Parts: sequence; structure tokens; C-alpha cells
Amino acid sequence: MSIRTILTMAAGATALMAAIAATPAFADDAKLEELKAQGFARVAIANEPPFTAVAADGKVSGAAPDVAREVFKRLGVADIVASISEYGAMIPGLQAGRHDVITAGLFMKPERCAAVAYSEPILCDAEAFALKKGNPLKLKSYKDIADNPDAKIGAPGGGTEEKLALEAGVPRDRVIVVPDGQSGLKMLQDGRIDAYSLPVLSINDLVAKANDPEIEVVAPVEGAPVYCDGAAFRKGDEALRDAFDVELAKLKESGEFAKIIEPYGFSAKAAMSTSRDKLCAAK
Amino acid sequence: MEWDWNFVWQIMPTLIDGLKITILATVLGAAVAAVVGLLFAILRMTAPKPIARVTSFIVEFIRGTPLLVQLYFIFYVLPDIGIRLPALLAGVIGLGLHYGTYAAEVYRAGIENVPRGQWEAAKATNLTGRQTWIHVILPQAIPPMIPALANYLIAMFKETPLLSAITVLELMNQAKSVANSSYRYIEPMTLVGVFFLVMSLISVVFLRWLEERYARMEER
Repeated sequence: MSIRTILTMAAGATALMAAIAATPAFADDAKLEELKAQGFARVAIANEPPFTAVAADGKVSGAAPDVAREVFKRLGVADIVASISEYGAMIPGLQAGRHDVITAGLFMKPERCAAVAYSEPILCDAEAFALKKGNPLKLKSYKDIADNPDAKIGAPGGGTEEKLALEAGVPRDRVIVVPDGQSGLKMLQDGRIDAYSLPVLSINDLVAKANDPEIEVVAPVEGAPVYCDGAAFRKGDEALRDAFDVELAKLKESGEFAKIIEPYGFSAKAAMSTSRDKLCAAK
Repeated sequence: MEWDWNFVWQIMPTLIDGLKITILATVLGAAVAAVVGLLFAILRMTAPKPIARVTSFIVEFIRGTPLLVQLYFIFYVLPDIGIRLPALLAGVIGLGLHYGTYAAEVYRAGIENVPRGQWEAAKATNLTGRQTWIHVILPQAIPPMIPALANYLIAMFKETPLLSAITVLELMNQAKSVANSSYRYIEPMTLVGVFFLVMSLISVVFLRWLEERYARMEER
């Protein structure tokens, strides 16, 4: 090996190291450029109307993807491509690079804020129960379910409701992880669970579709706070998140934000009256 | 993402709870499969033609449809006609029925492999039907079946994660729920794999032993 080769290699290695060191600095902008180039952003959704919905023809709608689509359009990313995921699998999927952003009504909670980079709040909603007509077990809060040894609650796996139920002291074997809204409703009708918990608007949508006089809704659940979601980006994609926030703020100001989400039943005012910092700090 | 041993120890008890359910479902499912399989085999071989035909159809039907679909049917559709089974029981019945049909074929092959002469000899020595089955046919038919049955047992064990689809909190479901709240998949899923591998390896050793033992019996 000649001295020259060694020198070339050393130079190459140095250049490579410099490139690696420099990567994080411009990776952020690169992310947006990359999305622009490919023409779409990959989003994770849950198919839980009105937050996220997939029509029979495969078209993605729902308040969260609609807002994201609009914001991305303004950022120069033509469209969004959605994949349906369980709530619990969204953040790991984001970290593994399977999606670019989560737009699914994944409510901001401190431990989630620690795992992802949230945008400013988009959709706010309180929690609700669907239960048998007349509320035979008198369930009004997660605590009521914890206190009644016969009461079983169904909730989406890894969703906010599952965590609220566990935090209220409902033992694991009485918190049934329900794969999707339809199964949850079916399990409620079959008496496998006594309450099915989702955000208010989701429950209303589900119950309205089911059109079953034997099911009624308790909303909001006592003692459960109002939560807001945001678009969740990977840690490290903060620059993309910041760009998203800028366009989101403009959208909110112009009133178009309200125009997108209010037909779905969400309150634009609720989202605009709070902030990520407040929600992520909340207990 | 790096491996975190503290997290492993923290989630171990939850996963072991799940493993217990997995093993319970396998053992109960195997028991159901053994009984159901025998029933199917006997009905197919000895019952009057129409009943045997119907049984054949049922067996083919169950063998020809996916276990996951059957589980959904048992868990979500049966309540419509008033049959509401707890999740674990529904899972055990699903596993048992599905693998029962495989076991039925094993039984049938085992019984049909007993040479015709044995039946004739039993008849010639004036043994009753019961005596023929218990003292002549089954003792010769069962040993060669055992390795094949044990194989299905291992296969069934590895299919138990399907029960997570009908809300049974078995190993896979526990791991998923751990991953759901910790946002980490690497440790829970690796552990699930390790648990299954360890159990399967133990079963394989046991299976080898069974094969050797019964293969030797046949040579005698």
C-alpha cells in the first residue's frame, strides 16, 4: 500500500466523518425536501370517526388527516398516504420510520410528549362511555368501574382511555383491549363489556351508526380531563414540526381551520385556547 | 434503539403471566383436540354412511378455513344466537376444533394402518367389538400416532398468538400491551420469541425421545 493510497483513504475517512457530523444539522430540512420530492407524507391513522376515517373506496378523511393534508399542501407536499394502525403501535411505528407523522387523535399526555415531537393542538375532546340502556351499573367515571368488581371496560389498546382506566385503579383483567370500534360495540351488545370508552365524538359517531336503542352514552366521563391531540412527529424531525406549526397557526388565524374541523363536530376554539406546552405539562 | 435490561426485568412478570395463559390455552386446546379428533375419526370410520359423510364434510370445512376466521366466528358471531363464551374458552374451543380435525386424520391413518389380519384374527377368536378395539387395535394404532400428534401440539402452541385477536391476554397480547404503553417493541417482542423458542426446543427434545421410543417399539 503506497503512502498516497493511505493519504487518500485518510482524507476520505475525514470527509465521511465530517459528513456524518454534519448530517443532523441539515437532516431536518432534508426531511421536508424529501417529502416534497416524493410528493406525499406517510401518516398513521386509526379509522375512528370523526378523528380519522377510511371510506369504503379507501379515501382517507376525518378531521385529523384533513388538517394534516391541508397543512402539508401548504408546505409543498402534495398529498398524504395513510396506513391504519393500533394506537399503541403508532409511536413505535413512528420511531421505526414507518410513518412520517401521526394524525390520529393521539392525545397529548406527558409521557407521549416525551416520546414524540407534537405540533400545536389540533383536535380536543372529552372522554365518554357507551353502555347498556339505563346504565344498569351506574358507571359515570373510571373510578366507578374500578370500584365495581363486576364492571368490565373496553378500550383501544394503547389508547388514552386504556391508560385512564388503569390509572383509576381498574385491574388489568377488567380492562379489555378492543381492536376496533365495531368490535367494541359488538362486545358491549353481547354483554362482554359493561362500558366502552372512547372520546365523546367517536362514541357518538359509533352509536349513531349502530342505531341500537339498547345502547346509551355517558358524556363526558366525570373526572376525566379534556384532551387535545396534535400531529406527532419523530424526535429529530423538529424542523419539520416547526414548519408544520407555522402553517397550522396561519390556518387557525384565517378561520380555515375551523372550517375543516367544525363540520366533524370539533371545537376550533378549544384547540386554539390551549397550547402544546400546557398540555404536555399537564398531569 | 438499544437493549435495556432494566426494562426487561420490569416487564418480565407481565410476560410470564401471559406465558401461563399461553400454556394453559395450549394444554386445554390439546385436550379438546384429542377428544374431538377421536370423535371425528370414529364417526368417519364406523358411523352409518350419511353421518360419516356429514362428519367428513365438517372436517374438510374446518381444515379448509383459517383458524383466525374461526376464532372471530366463535367470539363475535355466536353471541348473535345467544352463545356467549368467555374469551379464553372461545379460544380453547377454536384451537381444539381446528387441531381436532388434524388429529382426526392422524387417528384415522393410525387405525387404518393396523393390518386387516388383526381384525380378522380378533373376530376369529370371538372377541367382542370392545375387546377388539381396546386390546388389539388401539395398542397397535396409538404408538405410531404419537410423534405426529406431538408435532401438531407444537404447531398449535405456536398458533396461540392468534388468540390475541379475540382479546385473550396471552403472551403476545401482554407483550403488545407492554409495548403500547412503553413505546418499545424490541424487548417485549424479543422476549416473546425467546419464550416460544425455549418452549418449542423443550418440546422438540421430548418429541425426539417419543419418536425414538415408539419407533423402536414398532421394530420389535
